[in-house]
Amino acid sequence: MSQRLAFLLLIKNDCGKDGQADAWLEFTLEAEPEDTVLDMLERLRGEGRPVPAYRHSCHHGSCGSCGAVIDGVPALMCLTRAFSLAAPHARTIGGPLTEPAMEKDGRITVRLEPLAKMEVLEGIAVHPGRLFGDIPDGLSYLVCSDAKDKAELPPEPEASSVNMRTIQKGWRQRLEACIECGLCVAVCPIKIPFIGPYALAAINRERTKYPAHEKDMLAIADKPDGAWPCDRHLYCSMVCPQAVYPAKHIQLLKNSLLRNRKS
Amino acid sequence: MYLYFGLMLKAEVSKRQDARICIIGGGGTGAAMAYDLALRGFSVILLEQGELTSGTTGRHHGQLHSGARYALGDRAIARECMEESLVLRRIAPETIEYNGGVFVAINDEEADYANAFVNACQESGIPAREVQVAEARSWEPAINHKAKKTVWVPDGSFDAFRLPLAFFAAARQLGADIKPFCKVTEIEVKAGRAVAVNTQSLCGKKEEKICCDYIVSASGAWAGMVGKLAGLDVPISPAPGTMLAVQGRISDMVLSRLAPPGDGDILVPQRGLSIIGTTQSLADNPDCILPDKKEAAFLLERADELAPGFSKRPVHAVWAAARPLAGRTSGDGREISRDFAVLSHAEEGVAGMASLIGGKATVLRAMAEKAADLVCKELGLDAVCRTRDYVLPSWRSFYKAGSR
Repeated sequence: MSQRLAFLLLIKNDCGKDGQADAWLEFTLEAEPEDTVLDMLERLRGEGRPVPAYRHSCHHGSCGSCGAVIDGVPALMCLTRAFSLAAPHARTIGGPLTEPAMEKDGRITVRLEPLAKMEVLEGIAVHPGRLFGDIPDGLSYLVCSDAKDKAELPPEPEASSVNMRTIQKGWRQRLEACIECGLCVAVCPIKIPFIGPYALAAINRERTKYPAHEKDMLAIADKPDGAWPCDRHLYCSMVCPQAVYPAKHIQLLKNSLLRNRKS
Repeated sequence: MYLYFGLMLKAEVSKRQDARICIIGGGGTGAAMAYDLALRGFSVILLEQGELTSGTTGRHHGQLHSGARYALGDRAIARECMEESLVLRRIAPETIEYNGGVFVAINDEEADYANAFVNACQESGIPAREVQVAEARSWEPAINHKAKKTVWVPDGSFDAFRLPLAFFAAARQLGADIKPFCKVTEIEVKAGRAVAVNTQSLCGKKEEKICCDYIVSASGAWAGMVGKLAGLDVPISPAPGTMLAVQGRISDMVLSRLAPPGDGDILVPQRGLSIIGTTQSLADNPDCILPDKKEAAFLLERADELAPGFSKRPVHAVWAAARPLAGRTSGDGREISRDFAVLSHAEEGVAGMASLIGGKATVLRAMAEKAADLVCKELGLDAVCRTRDYVLPSWRSFYKAGSR
């Protein structure tokens, strides 16, 4: 039987547009080491305790909806486990590992706040609209590729045929790695107008997959709020739960823009 | 504006209906209902107690069912899955990985099942065919080399969050009012007719009364709880199942056990993860379902039988969701059909209200169509379903359009 851990969760209870003052609500609970922060919130809610609103959907790091600032660092609640909060952990991006804060009675204190730069709806639930505001809706989300070491797949049933630019016969389809969780945008320290790491990673992926869209995509990156405000703090790449490395995509866009200027 | 589809047809309302419909439940079915009814010209408001798809929908492993899994048990369900998987492929292509699937017989008993299985599939309109194990393993070397028989089926996987969100985006574009974090606390029934709902938002306890001409409960496993608010006894069995994801995409195709439906019999790829599902038990309350961690070891063992080495990969997440089985059971619920039903509550003394029960994610659009047909019939209005006809807008436009 694994040892249970005692926590004091401090959850910021922002009432968004409704104008109530911020407050921190306190919840004491026990958790198994493998429990996630999301499991903890679900258990509290299931017990009928007045947990502030939070977003969640897939519970396994695929939807990207449960991002929050956990002890100062943006992360997905569904992938942050009790044992990692009970061990030394960083309180700032890339910061030194620090012992968990403890109450006198041994409860481990964990703070939950809404993601920065997003409109807070209620509690720690945010509206992720600003993520998508600056990019075309239609950026592709499927990746179609040759499996190299595997045989060609049987074709799809004909009735499914759709006017899709992405699909090539026998190739394998896969959704983009980026789950649009917005952690990269929330953590980016750039203060001037900037469309942000998520949008730039998405448009770099688009032009990589579809060279015909190169010009349109580079035009977005070349705007004053495009790739140029990035100072390469690299926080975006550090918090990304999917190893998308947005900073790499931004640099690749800048490289192409500079190359085009020279030629 | 730059579009990725060469021919994106934009859905438009052709005739406005003079009726307001309130949908309770913001999962996949509610999403498809909001779109269907908005497209038929109704004024639509949808209420969800938490975030959209936060109940059962989003936690789905994401298998796009060809129907093969159900063919031996129920040809009609199988046929419907096949039809609907092709419709979804057409209307929401960018949320689906359509790589096909392989049913794998591991022992002689399962191998004996193969012929009947393929026949049942073909009778249901599913183009399943037996292939040599060597061929199946050339597509997916992860398949157990001890496999006795393998059958190709047109399965796929979808993004359990983004697919429903594309329906929500379409509904909102057509004027539907989609309200997450808005819990229904009361259903007002006057003179034998449901006339309004009272709602409460979580923070600040804002209360609002919403009058409407018809209420559809698309609340899935919560249908019993929502029904109670109107004094109804809705037959629903919330049936939680545990799923487990490991890191690494061991297969692009969906791998299934060539056997009657059981625990731990499907392996679904999802981006860089591989998911094994599912177990099944029963619960009284579908709220805040947490995984039974004891089931993790069992799932890993079952996954290894399909794809040896699965359990050696790092575990990424273990979670659970409550299926909305239609009906009641004294067993584990496996005997309950996975079919869905639309129940009109008029005969129980609550006219102007219906509940959708049962069903599966793959048939969300068909569930919405049947329920919307009933709404039209009971309101005496004539409007046909057109949700097969248009490619849905991107889920991104749902959030882009504003916060409320």
